[in-house]
Amino acid sequence: MMTKFQVACKNLMRKKTRSFLTLMGIALSAWVLVSLLGFNQGFEAALDRDIDNMGFQMMLMAKGCPYEAATMMLKGGTGLKYLPQSVAQDVLKEPEVEAITPMLMQTVFDPDKGENGGIAAYLGVDPASYGAMKTYLKFRQGGWFGQGDALEAVMGYEAAELEQREAGDLIFIPEKNLELRVVGVLERSGTQDDGTIFVPLRTLQRTFGRQGELTTIGIKVRKDADPGRIEEKLYELPDVQVVSLAQVKQTVMSLVSTAKALVLSIAIIAIVIAMVGVINTILMSVHERFQEIGILKTIGAMPGDIFQLIWMETLLLCAAGGMVGLGLSLILSRVTEWLVRSVLPFAPRGALVRIDLDLMLLSLGAISVIGLLSGLYPAWKAGRIRPLEAIRSEVGG
Amino acid sequence: MTLKRFFLAAAAIFVFLGLASSPAPAAVGCDLNDPDRDVPRLFPGATRYETLTLEIQKLGGDRLLGRIESRLRDKLRGLYETIDVPYTLYVIYRGEEKIGYIHGVTQKGRYGGIQIFLALDLDESIRTFYIQKISGPHAGRFRKPGFAEGFVSLSLADFERYEVATGQATGRVARIENPAPLAEQDFRFTLRGTKKNLILVNEFLKMSAQLAPKKGNASQ
Amino acid sequence: MSANGAALQARGLSKHYRRGSEEIAAVSDVTLRILKGEFVAITGPSGSGKTTLVHLLGCLDNPTAGELSLGDRPVFGGEGKRLSERRLTQIRRETFGYIFQNFYLLPTLSVFENLVLPLTFHRKQGARKDPMGLLKQLGLDHRRDHLPGMLSGGEMQRVAIARALVNAPDILLADEPTGNLDSKRSAEIVGILKSLSREAGVTVIMVTHNLELASEADRRFEMRDGMVL
Repeated sequence: MMTKFQVACKNLMRKKTRSFLTLMGIALSAWVLVSLLGFNQGFEAALDRDIDNMGFQMMLMAKGCPYEAATMMLKGGTGLKYLPQSVAQDVLKEPEVEAITPMLMQTVFDPDKGENGGIAAYLGVDPASYGAMKTYLKFRQGGWFGQGDALEAVMGYEAAELEQREAGDLIFIPEKNLELRVVGVLERSGTQDDGTIFVPLRTLQRTFGRQGELTTIGIKVRKDADPGRIEEKLYELPDVQVVSLAQVKQTVMSLVSTAKALVLSIAIIAIVIAMVGVINTILMSVHERFQEIGILKTIGAMPGDIFQLIWMETLLLCAAGGMVGLGLSLILSRVTEWLVRSVLPFAPRGALVRIDLDLMLLSLGAISVIGLLSGLYPAWKAGRIRPLEAIRSEVGG
Repeated sequence: MTLKRFFLAAAAIFVFLGLASSPAPAAVGCDLNDPDRDVPRLFPGATRYETLTLEIQKLGGDRLLGRIESRLRDKLRGLYETIDVPYTLYVIYRGEEKIGYIHGVTQKGRYGGIQIFLALDLDESIRTFYIQKISGPHAGRFRKPGFAEGFVSLSLADFERYEVATGQATGRVARIENPAPLAEQDFRFTLRGTKKNLILVNEFLKMSAQLAPKKGNASQ
Repeated sequence: MSANGAALQARGLSKHYRRGSEEIAAVSDVTLRILKGEFVAITGPSGSGKTTLVHLLGCLDNPTAGELSLGDRPVFGGEGKRLSERRLTQIRRETFGYIFQNFYLLPTLSVFENLVLPLTFHRKQGARKDPMGLLKQLGLDHRRDHLPGMLSGGEMQRVAIARALVNAPDILLADEPTGNLDSKRSAEIVGILKSLSREAGVTVIMVTHNLELASEADRRFEMRDGMVL
């Protein structure tokens, strides 16, 4: 025998174009909802990943004007402040510290870099500890330098590309008139390291007369340790300042959370618009079937049966639209990602739009609930139709 | 300076530097650092320019690559001389009249990339020779005006007979003096880069009718 | 009120409407008794109230006054208490089958699907176990998968009759069942209604303005100005 579900399906197929258009309206809203929620998820995860990939959670620098420190990092300016290398050993003694890596940043002016010259920057590192912290760094060619004071260099992907360097080639430090042999070229990492020229720490210290001095110490905190505590302890060291990347992440995320709220509002608006479309379609359908619904009541349908029938039609439309929308968001997630990247001024690496099973189920559930709510009024109206009104609307007494 | 201000500064730094996504992972090309400043300097009389981005891969693929290599009598090799390198060709105008081109290539040098720009008249002869970047202890000598003057009015016809592999030069190319005898390698690299530049422009211009140029800024 | 062999009994049934300040008596003080298995025709000119009367008898509407019993069960009592739409539906589906001038088949359902549609909502005890048998009886089994749009008027009305019978109703109400049919088909339909009453013992109440067709019935009630003559 016929079930109400079958009757509902057949009713929807009666006006195929209208049902299709309504379904597409829901599908597009669902696509927007899933993509935006997926973006929310993906962006946060990508940011987390980027922060984690910094390798160290904290950096220790010599106390000084932070804006100078900023300039140093951006362009390599003058007036750098230095940390004594012994501080690194003091930091390593702290129980919360898992590992440290000492760094020295130095710059020279290269008059033959561009029309008016430019700055060339070099980062002196200890390859064992630096490589251990930044595990994501992979080599395109070669590897890290051997001895701690070798006349060697490792180049980040973009630095190598600009200079057209491969492993075995030479580079030249102007002002110091020093040749270094490139022993490694890194793969693209999507971080600052891509533009960096790495030199053995001792080599750089010796070349620039900065023996025993550092500009930065990268610190990896033990997983179970409280970063706040170690920060406080580090501040007890003389003439240092601590930059915590967790703080940086919080700052960025608070910027992003405003965007998130906006994103959710847009998604909700999209859903509301779709809902209105659904209510309109079903109401129109009920109006057109006014007589028919009345007749259904004469053949035995209770008001509750009619309510169920109409409600089922709404739910079917919304569920089908939701599934199509989900499909669209999966297939077009790369397109959505491209759209987002073209609009965001800074975006983390990796997938920005992350659509997983939980999100899909949640979205489908939300759309179904919306379908159920949208169908309430039309179903109630249909349930109240009196058979006599339906019959009388055509036949005279 | 308060802690908070420092965090904000660090946040700004990391946001712009550390967390910025990499540019699109394609090969890097060779552009003028400041075209609005450099175009009128390299091409006196220019009032505006248009920019075309061209790739061997897209224009003619392996066939075009083969033709270029056979004209250069050398292979385009290594990690960086690849078929998908984007070349920027600046088309130079005085008013509505096209007056020439500027084109740059990066040539691998002894200590780093050598960025060689040629400003060319419509007949593809060199009007101005310009090294935007070069590395090494003798780098400065290659950027002196005297060296650049040696290239003025030379064309592909002159470079056609220059042997990149052996450095053997004839005619007007042979008259170009090495400004840094201790940097013989970079001198030869510069000549190779110039020849490559001229061949590329010649090949690109054969196909330029198919391409719609992007508008540049009006200089001056 | 008790009824012996009566399918339906009405006493003093009235239906009044208000149109502006005017009160119109569509049905006025109707008293009648229809026996089980009887084939009854209700005739009268347009506006005589025959359709309104049939709506009251068929529990499609509440009367303004009067009583109605179905078998020995009172439906509308003397105090004019209104029954809810829900209650009316419950009564209707236990007792009545309906046929209308416009057939009212669902256009997207096949003949068979239209036939079994009432069973989707309610399966009465004693409902037909083999609906196809009904179609066969009415000569429509070869049309079971066709849509109503492919049928003639006569065929559509036969499907409507089958649908009305699928839940084994006590009373079949036919409101101008031949209104949209030619004379040949009309005679066919009335013949079917007659045989239902004769052979299946179904009580048939037919509203018609066609006196010739009405003459096929066992009894005829003539109405004028809301009253049975």
